[in-house]
Amino acid sequence: MVDYDPALIGKVFEITEPVTVTPEMIRNFCEALGETNPLYTDEQAAKNGPYGGIVAPPAFAITFRNGRHFFQNIPRFGRSGFDAGKDVEFVSPIRPGDQVTLNSSVKEIYEKTGRSGSMVFVVVRSTLKNQRGEVVAHIDHRFMHRA
Amino acid sequence: MPTILDLHSHSEASEDSRAPVEAYLNWIRLRRQQLPLDGIVLTEHRQWNPSSDYRALEDKYQIMVLKAAEVETDYGHMLVFGVNDDIASRFDFANVYLPAQELIDEVARMGGIVVPCHPGRPNVGLFEHYQRKPALDNVIAVEGLNGGSRKGENERSAELIAKFGYKATGGSDSHLVSLIGLCATRFEAEIKTIEDLVRELKTGNYEPVDFRPKRPQVRRAEPVEESEHRG
Repeated sequence: MVDYDPALIGKVFEITEPVTVTPEMIRNFCEALGETNPLYTDEQAAKNGPYGGIVAPPAFAITFRNGRHFFQNIPRFGRSGFDAGKDVEFVSPIRPGDQVTLNSSVKEIYEKTGRSGSMVFVVVRSTLKNQRGEVVAHIDHRFMHRA
Repeated sequence: MPTILDLHSHSEASEDSRAPVEAYLNWIRLRRQQLPLDGIVLTEHRQWNPSSDYRALEDKYQIMVLKAAEVETDYGHMLVFGVNDDIASRFDFANVYLPAQELIDEVARMGGIVVPCHPGRPNVGLFEHYQRKPALDNVIAVEGLNGGSRKGENERSAELIAKFGYKATGGSDSHLVSLIGLCATRFEAEIKTIEDLVRELKTGNYEPVDFRPKRPQVRRAEPVEESEHRG
C-alpha cells in the first residue's frame, strides 16, 4: 500500500492573492473561444437574463492560476509522473468585479494497478472563492506517479 | 426465462469514469433492439458502498441495477459478486495487493463469488500471472469477453479458459455511457437479485454475448500490375 502521512489530506497549503475579474477579461475569454452566448457577451441581454447581468462562461474558472508554491507542495511518489487531468465543478457564476482566490489542499492519495504497472494518484483540490467567501468552483488536479 | 446482464461496468462513483447510472439506463432503453439487456452490474473500482440505492432508477427505466465490486489482487483484477457486510469487513477493497486465493476462498465461504476479469490483459490479468505463479484453486469462471480489451487480450482469455476449463462471462467494462452493454452474459435462468446472480454464476449455465457493432471490412488495395498500369 502507498505510504503517506494522513495529516496531508485536507491541509490547505496555499492561498493565492485575490484576482479582480474585469469585463475585459471575460470579453477576451469569450473572443478567444468564439463564445457568442449573450449571457456572457451582451450587457443588455444579460440584464434580462437569469443572472441580472453579465457573468463569465463556466470554463472561465480554469483561467485562475495556482500560486508559485503549488507544485512544490504536491506529494511525490516513485520515479516520474505526469498531469492526469482535471475535474471542474462549477458552483456559482463569476461576475465582473469579483475578487477570486484559490486555496489548495491534497484531497486524496490512492494507488491502482493497470496494464502498465502500479500507479499512485494524488488529487489536489483548488477551491475558488469570491470576495464574499462564496465558492465559485472546485478544480481537482489529478497527478499520476509511477510507483 | 433467460436473463442478459452486463456484469462489468463503472459509473461516476469510480474515479476514472464519468458515466451517471441514469445515463447508462437511458442509453439502454433507447437501444433495446441492439442492446437487449435485462440489467447491468455496477462494479466500482476498489470500493463497496452499501448505501447506494438505484431502485427508483430501476423502476423508471425497467432495467435491473445490481451492485458488485472490482478489486485488485496479487493475481490481477477480480470482480466480487454478492458483497455483504462480512466480506466488506474482511477485506480492505482499497488494497491493490489483496491475496487472490484468500479472497476467492473467503468470499465463497461468506456467500459470494469471485470472477477474475480481463484475464488476458497485461499485468492485471490472470494469464500473465499464471506464467510465473501457480494456478489459483476454486476459480469457477473468468471474464471471457471484456468490452475494454485491446487486440489479443480476449484471445488470451479464451486460451486460458480452454486450458483450465473455466466458465466464461462477458461484461462491457464500460467507463463511458456509449459503451454500456456491448459485452454481456446470457444466463439460462431468470435473475432478479444479486443472490440469484451469485447462485447462477456458480452453476455455469451462461455464456458471454457480444453486442459490439461489426466493423465494415475494408478491402485492401490490390497492387496494380505494371503492365495494367501502363494501360
